[in-house]
Amino acid sequence: MKSTRREFIKNFGKIIPVVFFGLSFKKFIETVSAKENASTHHPGGDYDWNQHYYAFVVDSTKCIGCGRCVVACKEENDVPKEPFYFRTWVERYVWLNGEEEVKVDSPNGGFNGFPVIYDEKEIRKSYYVPKLCNQCDRPPCVQVCPVGATYKTNDGVVLVDEKYCIGCRYCIQACPYGARYLYPKHGEREPRRNTADKCTWCYHRITKGLKPACVEVCPVGARKFGDLKNPDDEINRILDENRVDVLKPEAGTRPKVFYLGIDGAEVR
Amino acid sequence: MRKIHVRVAMVYIVIAIIFLIVRSFIVPPSFGEYGWYRGDSVSEIMNLSVKHAGSYSCSNCHQTEYKAWTTGKHSTVNCESCHGPLKYHVDDPGGSKVEVNATREFCGLCHNENPSRPEGFPQINLESHGNGFTCVTCHNPHYPWFD
Repeated sequence: MKSTRREFIKNFGKIIPVVFFGLSFKKFIETVSAKENASTHHPGGDYDWNQHYYAFVVDSTKCIGCGRCVVACKEENDVPKEPFYFRTWVERYVWLNGEEEVKVDSPNGGFNGFPVIYDEKEIRKSYYVPKLCNQCDRPPCVQVCPVGATYKTNDGVVLVDEKYCIGCRYCIQACPYGARYLYPKHGEREPRRNTADKCTWCYHRITKGLKPACVEVCPVGARKFGDLKNPDDEINRILDENRVDVLKPEAGTRPKVFYLGIDGAEVR
Repeated sequence: MRKIHVRVAMVYIVIAIIFLIVRSFIVPPSFGEYGWYRGDSVSEIMNLSVKHAGSYSCSNCHQTEYKAWTTGKHSTVNCESCHGPLKYHVDDPGGSKVEVNATREFCGLCHNENPSRPEGFPQINLESHGNGFTCVTCHNPHYPWFD
């Protein structure tokens, strides 16, 4: 068959869209069927993320402010050791005699413990409040990410994809709890540099059946972690038998870190 | 339909095709597998290395300390609360050295008198107690005694 160059180009132009639409239709069918499987299929071997849903309890009445959790977290997750970079930190709340306003401090996030700065007689009331990512059920940080680099897993943990994050800091701004920070460019873990970083409840540990590092090292059991979908887990008993607070309920984020023994209206 | 319309339509289609081809190259294959994110990143995070081994892994070798610890008042304090992350030591017990901080300040992190701590928690005034000796001179950290 003989054809001129013009005819050849014309015919070729007709074939391309047909082939393309065929391929894209195939891909469309694949994605639709993948979505249907999404509830049954899961990443990562034996661990099925549809069988778990985690929660965290912080018992403020037990916390002694030793800061071991802050140290362990930094070790476990390659968080830079200097101040200002924290996945978890401890705050001290102090109400002084005759003063309306609460005083909050957190020297180096509690990494080196807390120095005594007030005389016991001046203090009306004081306690420590450990803070970490609340792994919100409705996370504002996920909503604002422009590239899909942060997301909520099926077991209820909000994660950051360090390879996909462009470091725009939008999520850091969006978090009402200040739980995120920008991993510095001198940080130990190279692929994480200049990306947003935050507490993952030690996702690499909990998916292996271990406790998060901060829970592991807490000497007084002020931090409790468990699986809401496991009826034998003590976390269910703790949540059933106690009155619990969350931080900033008015933000509508539905946190999954529950606090015991805090003044809900004043601890934020 | 005039020829110009066909040409514009063709240009439009060609641009759209080029866009979709480029897109299929730059969007990672696992993107959208579970939601609007890269599905592979979940397993990448799951596979990060664990650094705290848990107290039970100490029991294989350090039986004396382990037994004392489980029955004493420090039994709620895990080995790694004081000794630091030890997975590297569990993996290679002979070739690695574990450092222990035995200073007064280190014990003071928990036990120095501080009005913000819960009332029942055992606390001591570091300045007036112990004449500057390290705490472990008198107190066994694995099986502590106090009044």
